[in-house]
Amino acid sequence: MVDIEIEIDGKVVHGNSGESVISIADREGIEIPRFCYHKKLSVSANCRMCLIDIKGNPKPQPACSTLASAGMKLYTKNAKAKAAQKAVMEFLLINHPLDCPICDQGGECELQDVAMEYGSDVSVFNEGKRIVADKDIGALIHTDMTRCIHCTRCIRFGAEVAGIVEMGGTGRGEDLKIEPFLSEGIQSELSGNMIDVCPVGALTSKPFRFEVRSWQMNSIQSIARHDLVGSNIFTQTHKGKVKRVVARDNESVNETWISDRDRFSYQGLASEKRCLVPKIKVNNEWREASWQEALDFAVNGIKNNNSDGSKFGALTSKNATLEELYLLQKLTRGMGSDNLDYRSDFANPAAANILKSSISLAELEDIDHALIVGSHLRLEQPMINHRIRKATLNGASVSAINAQTFDSNYRISNNLLTAPQNTLATLSGVLKAVLNEASEKQPDYLNSVVVEQAHKDIADNLLNAENAVVILGEHVNGNPDSDGISQLVKDIAEASQAQTLNVSLTSNSLAAEQVGFRPVNGKNALEILASDLNSFVMFDIYPDFDCFNPESAIENLSRSDAFVVSLNSFEDDSVLKYSDVVLPIASFYETSGTHVNIDNISQSYSASVKSAGDSKPGWKVIKVLADLLEIQGFEFVDSCEVADEALSMTPSTSVARAKITGSEIPEISTVWQCAPYSVDALVRHSSSLQETQIGQINVASVSKATAKLLKLSEGDLFKGVPVNINNSVAEGCVFVHTYQPRKC
Amino acid sequence: MNKVCFKNINKDNPSSLATYEASGGYKVWRKILKGELSQGKILDELKTSGLRGRGGAGFPTGLKWSFMPRNQEGQKYVVCNSDEGEPGTCKDRDILRFNPHAVIEGMAIAGYVMKASVGYNYIRGEFMEPYYRFEEALNEAYGAGLLGEDINDSKITFNLYTHLGAGAYICGEETALLESIEGKKGQPRFKPPFPANVGLYGKPTTINNTESFASVPDILAKGGQWFADLGVPNSGGCKLFSVTGHVNNPANFEIPMGTPFSDLLEMAGGLREGRKLKAVIPGGSSTPVLPAKAALKMNMDYDSIDKAGSMLGAGSVIIMDDTTCMVKALTRLAHFYYDESCGQCTPCREGTGWIYRVLKRIMDGHGKNEDLDLLLSVQDKIIGNTICALGDAAAMPVESFIRHFRKEFEHYIKNGESMVAKDG
Amino acid sequence: MISDQAKKEIDIWVAKYPTGRQSSAVMEALKIVQAENGGSLTNDLIKAVADYLDMPRINAQEVATFYENYNHKPVGKHVIRFCHNISCMLNGADDLISYLETKLGVKTGEARKDGLVSVKKVECLGACVGAPMCQIGDKYFENLTEQRIDEILDGLK
Repeated sequence: MVDIEIEIDGKVVHGNSGESVISIADREGIEIPRFCYHKKLSVSANCRMCLIDIKGNPKPQPACSTLASAGMKLYTKNAKAKAAQKAVMEFLLINHPLDCPICDQGGECELQDVAMEYGSDVSVFNEGKRIVADKDIGALIHTDMTRCIHCTRCIRFGAEVAGIVEMGGTGRGEDLKIEPFLSEGIQSELSGNMIDVCPVGALTSKPFRFEVRSWQMNSIQSIARHDLVGSNIFTQTHKGKVKRVVARDNESVNETWISDRDRFSYQGLASEKRCLVPKIKVNNEWREASWQEALDFAVNGIKNNNSDGSKFGALTSKNATLEELYLLQKLTRGMGSDNLDYRSDFANPAAANILKSSISLAELEDIDHALIVGSHLRLEQPMINHRIRKATLNGASVSAINAQTFDSNYRISNNLLTAPQNTLATLSGVLKAVLNEASEKQPDYLNSVVVEQAHKDIADNLLNAENAVVILGEHVNGNPDSDGISQLVKDIAEASQAQTLNVSLTSNSLAAEQVGFRPVNGKNALEILASDLNSFVMFDIYPDFDCFNPESAIENLSRSDAFVVSLNSFEDDSVLKYSDVVLPIASFYETSGTHVNIDNISQSYSASVKSAGDSKPGWKVIKVLADLLEIQGFEFVDSCEVADEALSMTPSTSVARAKITGSEIPEISTVWQCAPYSVDALVRHSSSLQETQIGQINVASVSKATAKLLKLSEGDLFKGVPVNINNSVAEGCVFVHTYQPRKC
Repeated sequence: MNKVCFKNINKDNPSSLATYEASGGYKVWRKILKGELSQGKILDELKTSGLRGRGGAGFPTGLKWSFMPRNQEGQKYVVCNSDEGEPGTCKDRDILRFNPHAVIEGMAIAGYVMKASVGYNYIRGEFMEPYYRFEEALNEAYGAGLLGEDINDSKITFNLYTHLGAGAYICGEETALLESIEGKKGQPRFKPPFPANVGLYGKPTTINNTESFASVPDILAKGGQWFADLGVPNSGGCKLFSVTGHVNNPANFEIPMGTPFSDLLEMAGGLREGRKLKAVIPGGSSTPVLPAKAALKMNMDYDSIDKAGSMLGAGSVIIMDDTTCMVKALTRLAHFYYDESCGQCTPCREGTGWIYRVLKRIMDGHGKNEDLDLLLSVQDKIIGNTICALGDAAAMPVESFIRHFRKEFEHYIKNGESMVAKDG
Repeated sequence: MISDQAKKEIDIWVAKYPTGRQSSAVMEALKIVQAENGGSLTNDLIKAVADYLDMPRINAQEVATFYENYNHKPVGKHVIRFCHNISCMLNGADDLISYLETKLGVKTGEARKDGLVSVKKVECLGACVGAPMCQIGDKYFENLTEQRIDEILDGLK
């Protein structure tokens, strides 16, 4: 790719023809000051800080907008360049407040840094500084617009990356104000990145405001665990507390961005609802206990209720670490039980979810068509959605088979509204259409399938694409037909030579798959929760959110002959209701662990802070339980050893073909989708996230006709969620999107 | 006088199609529609004519047109800059009012040369009378079958629309003007890429001033050499000069390039009784001011005015007699640039306000000895460092006013009042 | 929010631009709704125009606050836009503006209490050979004197 030679400050360097001079200089380690330039955003050349001298050019030119051409001679530090840079610095400072000592950006401020080198000690400006009124733009971003230097990075981030034009520059001249429309706050699920791109203290983290000076914190490399991407982050800590989370560059994973969910969830760590000490239930009374007492109590309980291993069951959330999943799996199987699962929110975890992803995150940018099945991708997997959006910016088209039309940041050209009970039929129609077009033989089960025009349109989209992907989303998890659906998605992709991307198994589900945290012959989550098993380990389970049918699960686990050991980081009334022991475990960032992302990349991280109170890292607790239960093979010194062993496992890949037969679904069905800031206990306890518009999502959408059938009116409560009658939902279903506990 | 753009100005109903055609209008366009004039020939004639951009920058029009990727497939645009707003300039307004068909024909010809099928005339929002006249002319031209799709089965399509501004001097800058047509703030784009490659809606675009377009039909009808011979070497043709300020008969004059300034001053009725010439801004507010002595020696062409220490610009000659307070005049201009800066790039956004405030402070009687050096230093830090020419335009008057009339500024700072007994 | 008549007028402008470039008409659309609203814009009107042209609201607000022709506070029925730039200044614009203020009993930038007129100082209107001059509605009034101003004011109803 390197094809031309240019000279910068007398040094011969190589670059690509048409590459910006500043990017070549950056690669070569030649420092050029800048504010508006950002490698991931379009060039605007407005700050003028990167002015350099180009031989043969009478005026200094911005390095960001100057494209390299062979033989160019550039001077970044000669008298002409320096004079221009110092002039710009002086202009930037005349109206910038001198409030660095109380500015949260102090110490990590690009303006401060550059001013140290290019600024003057004495100001000759005596005309009174500009003051700009601040706007409340929401719970996440604090504004101090008097500090704004109008670089427009935040505007460009919104328009180009977040895909929602929210910030703009109003007024003109020195009255130019960077702000969102009126009092409408910022709504993007990626908004926090504006804080990262802001070179000054105009946009800072609201939850972090006045917490601690930036240089007093430790920055620890970590991995965000709320979605399938495993975005790379720094957790920044002070005195044993996580004070802030910022993005860490990793081009193939999260580039340089992170979602708001990953950025602000840490606030939940400081919640008053943390489990800090072990608790045991004696004679139906809860009391605090020492670890020793609680562990003994737990082990005795399991042993006493478990003459036979088959009466033991273990459930985990999909947020557990690879190590925790591995050890709990090993413990369960060591007990002689095969009753284990991580899919407690599935309507029908009967067989395997057979869809494997065949395309990487980075490759998603190169697709020319995506078919989304059952996902509100933008809110559920923001960083994956971002890659799809990039593809659409390069011309890719997107179609969807969803129960509702969702607010997207790219155009979905073909949106086939489909109620859950019809999804199987729709996909069958699409498959048949694809096979028809490709003149391929059809399996018998498609004989009676009727191909509609809409199916043909979707099929055409796929067949006309060179490089398509079919994306299976998490809405199918609540569909009793989920196995058939994922089988059809696989078949459609194969028949149309498209790639597959499975985003239905989120968070750390792929780690659970890696260690085989699902039954081979034993009971799955649904069966475990409905069975007469009599001892359980529930790892990080909050039944009101994590179980498909919380009410029946809680009822069954509360049986008097069921002994339940719960490991949780947050207090939960339902957990207390059915548990006999609650062992407090570390939350995110308090334990070492490993996340397996959608590219099947295992990303390990160490603990950023000590776990709260007396809580302990989950993997250690499971190890000690196993030791006390006298199960062999738990001689681990640290979590790395656990991870090594877990990753050396070869997960079973042979999965039987799912049958494509519709199960019985009522005429009107419900899709219950947990709102994005309620997907796990940590985000549910992050107060700033809960305050945002996304955090407040609480709506049961239903069409006019369906509402009539259900005798629902606008504003009624449907399973506790306010009804909104609109035409964005498929007939025959209610789409519930809410932060509230699940109701079956 | 009045040989090209203004040739019909004294006729009855000068803006009508009939008047325009009676004086040879649309002959060139009809020739083109008949396939009798090639693009190459037009470019040659334009280059021979020595026509330079009449908006102020003076870039050779023939050369500009030849930069367009003419043979590139796809949509291209022709845009006319009628966003006249440079203080002292009011010539395009009269062209639009009295000779709109020349603009239409000039733009259509440009469309043919560049293979651009759509044109926009950007008229400043306040020019409602010129806008109505231009729209009327457009209707006439469409009615006469001179514009539209596949005109007279010529396979030539040219559709022309008016876009109205809404009050922003910066939109006279060609890329800000394009942004404005796109329905955005008028913020200039950085260059390269130039509009010839990435212009309106990202497509190749040629932008010329109203007077430039209006000059094209006559150049092609009578020949490039005819036009060139009207003027002097390197300044072909005749040009409109708006003479304003302290003269008895302020008006627009279309005169040959190279006419002595003193002649022009006389045409404008000379100075008022008992007044003496003090200073002249020869090309509009953005060009450096000249003291009387230098101005009286110059001729009205690019090279001569350049030699005198200023620029021909848009031909906007602002005459100031001895009652003018130069501190007040500069403060007035500084306020203008401060008010009209788009705010996009740092030196202009911050620097124009700084300059204005220092001057305002001097006017308010709080000037300090070091203020003049400060003003010179601030303008020096703006010049050459901004995205567009507004920065330079704001800076240049500061330097020239202080250089030529420093004593007056010093007097104001020292005494808190003007050296001139009665200011204009 | 936007009347049918205004929508018709806006659509005429939309038709001038390529398909999908309807936001090119935002400047005129804002003027049209401003005129209908007695000469000034409200945030709701800006929002309505943005939504009608299917463009981000903040971009419409940018336009509405960037260009000088939009008013964000109520103005008089007649707005006298008086040029005070160099050519007009040299010909006595400042004195005439003071005269106008005294005569009307308003300050520049404000509307008179009865809502009939407001006076605004503006930058060069491009009629410098007729300095001093002002604009009222679509019309330019040039070569102004105190007497001429009296006549013009008498004509304002």
